[in-house]
Amino acid sequence: GCFVFKPSPKKRRVSQKTANPFGEGDSEDSELRFLTCQSLWNEIKLATEQVQEDLNKQLFDSLVSFLRRSHSEFQEKTTEWTRRMKSREIPTAALVLGVNVTDHDLTFRNLSEILQNNITPYIAFLEAKDCPGIKNLMQKLMGQLMNCSVDVDSQEDEDYVQVSQSRIRCSMTSLVNWYESVTKKTDSETPRKKRTSSSRHWQSPPVVVVFKDMESFTTKVLQDFIVISSQHLHELPLVLIFGIATSPMIIHSLLPHSVSSLLCIELFQSLSSKEHLSTVIDKLLLTDQFPFKLGEKVLQVLINIFLYHDFSVQNFIKGFQLCIVEHFYSQPLSILCCQLVDAKKRVNSLSHNQCENIRRLPSFRRYVENQESEKQVALLTTDSYLKETTQKLLEDLRVYHENYVSVLRCLHVFTSSLPKYPLGKQIRELHCACLEHQVWETDEYESSLQLARMLNKSDLVTMLQQCVEIFVSSSRKEFDKTVEKLKEFLTQFQKLEGEAFQEQDVSVSSQKELQKKTDLYHLQKTLLELKESRRSKKLTKFEMLRFEVVGYIDSLVRNYLVPADHKTLHEIMYFNTASVLREHLNAAPRIALHTALNNPYWYLKVRTKRVGGGA
Amino acid sequence: QTLHDLLKKAPLAYAAEIKELNQQHESLFSKWMLQLHLGFNIVLYGLGSKRDLLEKFRTSVLQDSVHLVVNGYFPSITVRSVLNSITEEVLDHIGTFRSPLDQLEFIIKRFKEDSSLELYILIHNLDSQMLRGERSQQILAQLCSLPSIYLIASIDHINAPLMWDQAKLSLYNWLWYETTTFSPYVEETSYENSLLVQQSGSLALSSITHVLRSLTLNARGIFRLLAQYQLENKDNPSYPGLSFQDFYQQCREAFLVNSDLTLRAQLTEFRDHKLIRTKRGADGVEYLLIPVDDSTLTDFLEKEDEDV
Repeated sequence: GCFVFKPSPKKRRVSQKTANPFGEGDSEDSELRFLTCQSLWNEIKLATEQVQEDLNKQLFDSLVSFLRRSHSEFQEKTTEWTRRMKSREIPTAALVLGVNVTDHDLTFRNLSEILQNNITPYIAFLEAKDCPGIKNLMQKLMGQLMNCSVDVDSQEDEDYVQVSQSRIRCSMTSLVNWYESVTKKTDSETPRKKRTSSSRHWQSPPVVVVFKDMESFTTKVLQDFIVISSQHLHELPLVLIFGIATSPMIIHSLLPHSVSSLLCIELFQSLSSKEHLSTVIDKLLLTDQFPFKLGEKVLQVLINIFLYHDFSVQNFIKGFQLCIVEHFYSQPLSILCCQLVDAKKRVNSLSHNQCENIRRLPSFRRYVENQESEKQVALLTTDSYLKETTQKLLEDLRVYHENYVSVLRCLHVFTSSLPKYPLGKQIRELHCACLEHQVWETDEYESSLQLARMLNKSDLVTMLQQCVEIFVSSSRKEFDKTVEKLKEFLTQFQKLEGEAFQEQDVSVSSQKELQKKTDLYHLQKTLLELKESRRSKKLTKFEMLRFEVVGYIDSLVRNYLVPADHKTLHEIMYFNTASVLREHLNAAPRIALHTALNNPYWYLKVRTKRVGGGA
Repeated sequence: QTLHDLLKKAPLAYAAEIKELNQQHESLFSKWMLQLHLGFNIVLYGLGSKRDLLEKFRTSVLQDSVHLVVNGYFPSITVRSVLNSITEEVLDHIGTFRSPLDQLEFIIKRFKEDSSLELYILIHNLDSQMLRGERSQQILAQLCSLPSIYLIASIDHINAPLMWDQAKLSLYNWLWYETTTFSPYVEETSYENSLLVQQSGSLALSSITHVLRSLTLNARGIFRLLAQYQLENKDNPSYPGLSFQDFYQQCREAFLVNSDLTLRAQLTEFRDHKLIRTKRGADGVEYLLIPVDDSTLTDFLEKEDEDV
């Protein structure tokens, strides 16, 4: 049932390479668009990988230190007695990785790099699908370890022959022999090799075996391997790492007590994928580094897929990639979706058709309608004027982004400390809310402002300080004023502190008075008075100030957090067709069959409606 | 055969609309190519055969590149044959491998070494009987996760997505496309054995009545008794049939036969016409069954009642 079709060799390559990746259209500069798309995607990919590496750093550091410690302990056990006692315990690191199996690959790749560089050249990664039986497991293990050493020590061909020979008969003893020979070799051979292998590693580096997916191994294989290797531990310093997707309980349910007592387990927790996602969103979406943005609906879909289906950051990024591709594929104006300097150049060299495309954008139409009539005419007819305005508008858009991000963070500082989080705990929720509609019209925003008016002073001060930091780091000159204003608030607060002391004194003295009078009648009277005064008390200076601050923040929000849909030319930067994404990433074949069988007209609607009407 | 001819003549309803629909799908070809090159694999779902669509994709776009077509609906296809055709014909490698895993490793190594190698794989019915197994899917997924192998597959089974877990999904890196074509599954079903075809081989209602008409009244009564007994027990899955002794007893009571021998002779006649089947039970007793499904039997009894 398989048929291979090979092209005739002469035709090959000729038409393949000249064909435009985006296919159709000369007016839409598909070449350029494709290049922009590619470069943007590569940039983003690099950035995300960087983020992930940074996130895992802490975990790996602790893991490396664990390996060092356990191994040195092994070497320290010199006395015969302790060796006999402890020699059958294999040091084991249990890595709890979370259910997002899709992300684990990247983690393990980073792990292998780090281990290679820091600890040992002998690492083997075992996957459950390769090892249905103990024999396959040993085979795989030997092959990997020997290849590892060949790679690292850069040995010659004769060694390679040896490797392939010994692959046929793989047993623990041959493994031990091999290990001895390797360590001996590195100990006694040329000084160059000695330097490479003993300066970076120790005299006898441990052999690390990583079980990538603990859950899917069969228990028998795992048990056998552990028992066998614990027998040989004194000759072969072995360290196991289990990658666990669910919870550490699985070790005990997979391994009986007799086997798990052979392991000396230490637990390591990896970062939860939710935090992972929030950092990725933070770095990817809430920066002005990348010109490409996601619309509210699209972001919502991606986050929903993440939260309700798979918890996998990898899939989130894949969805993001699909968004980019789709955006650059479908939107002819997406060539302008690049850094501002390039965009300005490209605007100048736009063709007439492209200008028409700009005019056709709904957001641009809205813009034109709000202009005076002469300007309208000029915009709609002369290309050069249009280009000028476009440049201006693009610049506006850029400025809007920068302001948006810092004001958003600022607002997040406020809302995330409120009780019950009316606007959401994470910054992504706030981001969605802001993109969706004008945030100050929602009830949640109203309630959060009310809560903010009841904040006490120390919280308020710390928040203001955080805001100042954010604005300073954003380093746009427009915020100089706001920063000044906020600093002014802070100094006012410091001034207030003195007054607050006096106030406290007053209240304390009144309480003292209260304690003096023991007469019931007087007591009642004073209490009543106190109450009265409290009710009618004018707002203290602090409260006034508090109102002022909250009001100011409110105005900031109103100025800067306008949803992107209301901006002119937002179509260039924002991708907002959620339906495309949903049907390609999260398809429902059942529903497709259901509608097609129940109601075929849904698919054939184009002409059948007319036919049905006639008949 | 005559049925085929008749069907061919019958005009396809809404032919124009379906054609339009297909043209819509065909306009996606360039997009597919782009997305394949960006590391996604494409899976097509929806009602109707996707075979013609994929064929068209092949002839129009993939004309000048190496590609492999796998007919998943083919009943004797295995992953091994897919891998073999890759190693033997695409990579020009002669030699055998001990296991598919080894073979896969070899392929992956070759493709990683030589970046100029590109392979498009088109699989019709990825969810077919032979390919839906856990291991074969795993192997295919690993194969398709290679950046220089591009996969387009179609699925038809309603539960097809159940065969992929998260790990496989991430290896496959699917993009889903809904391509409802409404075109008939001609090739795909040509290997399927349907009940309709089977029944024409076994007994149909018309043939039973035809045979029984030519028998005596008593013989008809015997058959009727057996049929009634079988229908009474149709809800009992472990019902082995009526044992000969019981049957004889009942026939005696109904005055249908007078001796063991006549009943046996009668049953032999039934057996020659394949109206009944005998089966030996665990205890060595002969059990009698009518190898016709229940609905046909009920129809038969109703008809008999009308006649009487």
